[in-house]
Amino acid sequence: MEIHCENISLTFQEKKIFEDLNFTIKSGENICIGGESGKGKSSLLKIIAGQLKPTSGQIVFDAIPLNKNSIKSIRNQLIWIPQNINLPVYNGKQLIDLMQIKKNTALVKNYLNDLGLDNTFLTKDFSKISGGQKQRIIISICLSLNKEIVLMDEPTSSLDEHAIELLIQLIKKIKNKIFISASHNETWLQSVDKIIQL
Amino acid sequence: MEQKIIDLSFLELLISIATLLIPFLFFWIYKIRLIKSVIISVIRMIIQLTLVAIYLEWIFDKNNAWINSAWILVMLLVSVFTTIRRAELHWKNFAIPLFISGFTTIFIIDAFFLGYIIKLKYIFDAQYLIPISGMLLGNALNNNIIGLNSYYKGLKEKEELYQFLITNTGNKKLALQPFLETAIRKALNPMIATISVLGLISLPGMMTGQILGGVDPSIAIKYQFLIMIAIFVGCTMNLFLSIILANKNAFDSYDNFKSDEIVKEIN
Repeated sequence: MEIHCENISLTFQEKKIFEDLNFTIKSGENICIGGESGKGKSSLLKIIAGQLKPTSGQIVFDAIPLNKNSIKSIRNQLIWIPQNINLPVYNGKQLIDLMQIKKNTALVKNYLNDLGLDNTFLTKDFSKISGGQKQRIIISICLSLNKEIVLMDEPTSSLDEHAIELLIQLIKKIKNKIFISASHNETWLQSVDKIIQL
Repeated sequence: MEQKIIDLSFLELLISIATLLIPFLFFWIYKIRLIKSVIISVIRMIIQLTLVAIYLEWIFDKNNAWINSAWILVMLLVSVFTTIRRAELHWKNFAIPLFISGFTTIFIIDAFFLGYIIKLKYIFDAQYLIPISGMLLGNALNNNIIGLNSYYKGLKEKEELYQFLITNTGNKKLALQPFLETAIRKALNPMIATISVLGLISLPGMMTGQILGGVDPSIAIKYQFLIMIAIFVGCTMNLFLSIILANKNAFDSYDNFKSDEIVKEIN
């Protein structure tokens, strides 16, 4: 699997966010989009996910350009881990039900353990646990989808240093995937293979 | 029990308006700024009902299929534009879908209940067609405002949730499920509650009107049963059709929600 970003530009309300970005990411690589707030890190990630259309340029997945005909099959290869999300569910178990991925529960539990949480966290009320614990539960559920490309928007935003380290180790353990994140966390930036600076 | 109905004089109607002083007193004591809106609504109601009374008399007198259908069409158009305005949606994306869904609903419900159940010889008979269609449209209006507002505003306010579900599952139907469920529940719950207590703690307007008009209560109850079923089926069908048809314009070619083109800015 290869992802090519070809001459990607984004203009928002007549302001150029970024221009003519070109890069390639291959299977097994862990890439981070770096840069200060407002530079368009999350926007670039959303463009790769097909959630936002670039002003110009295109994203190509294994010679297939991202467009209205290919979006569905490309989504089948994508995992999207948002920075923060208000979910209409009380706990991880309900989220699993909502996503109809009950068969992944064992894998979710494995990832939860890797991230320092025991299985009981799957049934704990989201409103009664910390933001970091909730983020780790959502990351575990998303990773259990076991797809080719993992897109993570500020994956460390609610995590403490220990949890960040656990997440870095988990990502390293998962082979042959493409990891693309948007972050300005120093520990995270040091752990990736390549940084695309905006 | 044939009994002549007691007519009301204009003076008596005017005196009945005086009872509005009770809610106004509460509004005034608790500083709830609703008095002006209520006065405007009541004045509008008086003007509308007066005009409708004159117009309906003429419609009932003519009892012509084209005139009766045209009246239903006018009610439908008013209902469509009121729904769009009150649900704070953009009319260009909703006018046609809501019109089609409303028209389809009215057509099916009227054809089935008036033609098949009541077995009217003349299906366009103003005495049946206009009140039943009117009641259906009136209820569908409230139902659609609540349902469409909840569904599309929910999508706008929780767009991240939709993106999360569609990107991770690749399944648009599944990604829309929580929004649809919330909207349908919000819209239909009051009606389900009304149906469940009908006759116990509420005597609906239609039945009360018929009984006051001298109709035997057993006949009034049969009609009330029929109309409640027709309203529930019609409202549900109308809301689902409205959402299904309006969804065609609500998403771009990547299935991303076009929030700015669909929902007006929330002030």
